[in-house]
Amino acid sequence: MKKLFTIFFMCVGMAVQAQTKVSGTVSDDKGEPLPFANVALEGTYDGASADVNGKYEFTTDEKGQKLLSVTMVGFEAVKKSVTLEGSAVEVNFKMKELINTLNAVVVSAGMFEASDEKKAVMMKPLDIVTTAGGNADITSVMQLLPGSNRVGEREGLFVRGGSSSETKTVIDGMIVQNPYFSSTPDVPQRGRFDPFMFKGTAFSTGGYSAQYGQALSSVLLLNTQDKQGSNSSTTLSANLVSGAITHTHKGWLTGSLYYSNISPLLKVATNSFNFEKVPQGLGAVVSVNEVLKNKATLKVFGTLSDNKSAIWLPSYDAINSKYLFDNKNFNTFNHAHYRQTYKDGIWVLQAGASYSRNNDNLALSGAGFQRKDERTQGRLVMSRLYGNNNSSTLNFGTEVHHINVSNRYNEFEMKMTDNYSAVFVESETYLSKDLALRIGARGEYTSVLDRFNVAPRISMAYKTGEYSQVSVAGGRFYQNPEKEYLYMNKALDFEIADHYIANFQRIKSGKTFRTEIFYKKYDQLVTEKTETFDPNPYRFPTGMTSNNGYGYARGFDVFLRDQKSLKNGDVWVTYSFLDTERYFRNYSKSVMPYFASKHNMSVVYKQFLTSITTNVGLTYSYSSPRPVYAPGNDLQEPVFTKPYHNVSFMASKIRQRPNNFLVFYVIVDNILNRNNVFGYRFSQDGSQKYAVNAPMRRMLLFGATFTFGKLNGRSKEAELDF
Amino acid sequence: MKKQILTLSLIAGMAFGSMAQSEKYVSAMTEITSGIQQVQGKGFLPFANKMERIAAAEANEWLPNYWAAYCYINESFTTEKTADKDLLLDKAEGFLVKAESLAKDNDELEVVKAQYAMARVSVDPMSRWQKYGANFQSALAKAEKLNPANPRIFYTQGLNTFYTPEGFGGGKSKAKPIFEKAAGLFEKQSPANAYSPAWGKGETQYFLQQCN
Repeated sequence: MKKLFTIFFMCVGMAVQAQTKVSGTVSDDKGEPLPFANVALEGTYDGASADVNGKYEFTTDEKGQKLLSVTMVGFEAVKKSVTLEGSAVEVNFKMKELINTLNAVVVSAGMFEASDEKKAVMMKPLDIVTTAGGNADITSVMQLLPGSNRVGEREGLFVRGGSSSETKTVIDGMIVQNPYFSSTPDVPQRGRFDPFMFKGTAFSTGGYSAQYGQALSSVLLLNTQDKQGSNSSTTLSANLVSGAITHTHKGWLTGSLYYSNISPLLKVATNSFNFEKVPQGLGAVVSVNEVLKNKATLKVFGTLSDNKSAIWLPSYDAINSKYLFDNKNFNTFNHAHYRQTYKDGIWVLQAGASYSRNNDNLALSGAGFQRKDERTQGRLVMSRLYGNNNSSTLNFGTEVHHINVSNRYNEFEMKMTDNYSAVFVESETYLSKDLALRIGARGEYTSVLDRFNVAPRISMAYKTGEYSQVSVAGGRFYQNPEKEYLYMNKALDFEIADHYIANFQRIKSGKTFRTEIFYKKYDQLVTEKTETFDPNPYRFPTGMTSNNGYGYARGFDVFLRDQKSLKNGDVWVTYSFLDTERYFRNYSKSVMPYFASKHNMSVVYKQFLTSITTNVGLTYSYSSPRPVYAPGNDLQEPVFTKPYHNVSFMASKIRQRPNNFLVFYVIVDNILNRNNVFGYRFSQDGSQKYAVNAPMRRMLLFGATFTFGKLNGRSKEAELDF
Repeated sequence: MKKQILTLSLIAGMAFGSMAQSEKYVSAMTEITSGIQQVQGKGFLPFANKMERIAAAEANEWLPNYWAAYCYINESFTTEKTADKDLLLDKAEGFLVKAESLAKDNDELEVVKAQYAMARVSVDPMSRWQKYGANFQSALAKAEKLNPANPRIFYTQGLNTFYTPEGFGGGKSKAKPIFEKAAGLFEKQSPANAYSPAWGKGETQYFLQQCN
């Protein structure tokens, strides 16, 4: 019996001796406890979760030298060696928070992004198609954003006192030579690209990355969609101006054909257009979107379009005098983009190539006039990720462009060929999750000027609170003079802009506040000496040109958005203040340029009506008067246009069934039928003044889109209703 | 003879040893799995931690990874801050990838992948439908191909239909027959063991009542 007891106690003793108690605390580097941190003895089931005070405790039968690890969502794993020999062990852990897209500060100065993938963005790509007054046109929506000046008679983005030629459109890193349909005097054109093509849009109003160049004011960066699923579907769409058919084959190959003709629209809406030939166009788009075996992605995109129109435009020679502006346009834009990662994603290679050509075959009252441009470009970027959770990036790359442009008027031809090349290097370093620093430089050489430049860029961002941050950016930006000047004078130099931007933003649960102040200094702007001042913005330079110009732009803007207070509603308000003057082109002194307006404002309201699954939106926009300079011996005091006001409406309704869906939409632009004045044109002798108005005031457009076949998830169009 | 006995006892010992480990695995898994299936609302993380430890120790077992992913996904549904939701789902994704490398073409994993896609969508439905909506459908379609008798496929499908507005092809009346199909299949289900996925029966009954 005694013996049995001994054995029993021996067993218990052994058991007791065999077990080691392990305990301790888990905290972050500031000493805050980390509840639910997972402490584990590697290779065993033994371990424990930390409690609310960060304390953990467990016992183990294991013996000897072992590794004790702790893991926690959002923190870097820590391992410590422990010796288990029966006596209690205390191991305390301090964990370092990982920098990730969810908690890190974002270099945001100058950048206004719409993205699904990134955090801390102001918008989603869908906002572009659901905004009334935007007419599902990317540029028109950007005009409702801070920093952009509304110029109603021309296409393009006029950013912070810059002209539209100071903004470059970039698709997957490739400069788009002709982002808009061919320019017609005083008739603004739409962008050539369908907003549904893009997964992300970033609109920089200044201080942008060294990866991009040749834009004094702004870049509009568009990133095409990735492959979505592998189903096939067909979409038919029609509205008052166009019809299209699109087929997607197994998710990777998409082709579409469209025909446009604005006749139905002209019948519905009163207008003052005087067409000889109503604008019509034929176009085709083919795209390939594939994920290759090694997880590399390949995107190929090709578009061809052929448009023609003939319109009688006022010639301002005498009252009601006209000339015929006849244009046959051919445009092609082709681009391929390849992306591959190496070594678990820490190296990223991106290669791209593109070819574009645009021919405008114009007849101006019968006189032949041809505009041609052609751009071939290649781009290679390597990125190396490093630092805490690979949050930091080093980018370096190069791009090469070959550009041919020409203007031919009867027998008189002007040509320009440019071989442009650039190299850039830029690092974006996260010193902590709260502090990021981006430093870059870009070197460019352009053969037409035979000149080099080196442009430094720097920006910084600091997180001031859980939901708020400040960011600053600065840098130098170069751009070649516009081709009209280069035709005549190839001894010109680069035009220069220096940017200084400070930004504050706060994004918290559906409420966004963003404000930015900026100062932009222009130098070496091209000026032209003329005998008398001719305000016609479409005139061809004839005088002596030099880089004597300069200028400045300063101001601030505010963006407020609330997606929370109204159920299923979304309101945003934008206000931009601009003070700018420049001595450039044929101006003889530094004045406020004709495209600038001091105050720009817009109020956008969207509401989803659940009961009828319909999305409705209302947008009000305002621009203060713009200066107009009358012709004369010298630049005179400007007259100002009337202020611009516009109220527009949009509604869309979707019917979704398992294998098809239908979208109806209605757009009414300028509901109040206001006669906005965008400027004045003058008769040759300056005695007569003619207002430039929109040829169509109130515009009504409606249409439908029908998709059938297996959808790759819910289509983008169908989401209009959320 | 002596040698034979030694060999025999060695084999027995080895068998016992491995069996002992397996027993440990079975009992730990059974205990944690039953715990997971009793969680109401929050509280998945301690179980996720336990599953994570087992997953690390048992490098060839897919089920601990499956359950860890399941825990993180379900925890994300009850988490308020969207940033935290995504972090939990990032973690779940790691377990899903691991589980898939150990068990290819597994219908239960496809169901959880669909659940994962649904969780990602719910963080930001407006902009995530495109990507994760496609993943949701394809995962369930694959699961159905692999095992059409898996009731969780239809429970998950029903849930999605239930929460999709009528205008988009969802709604209670459309969800009801799907839940009914799930309920029928739940009656016939026979999990391979105590720690194999068996969840969803009670929930299906609950949503069936909601459909009426």
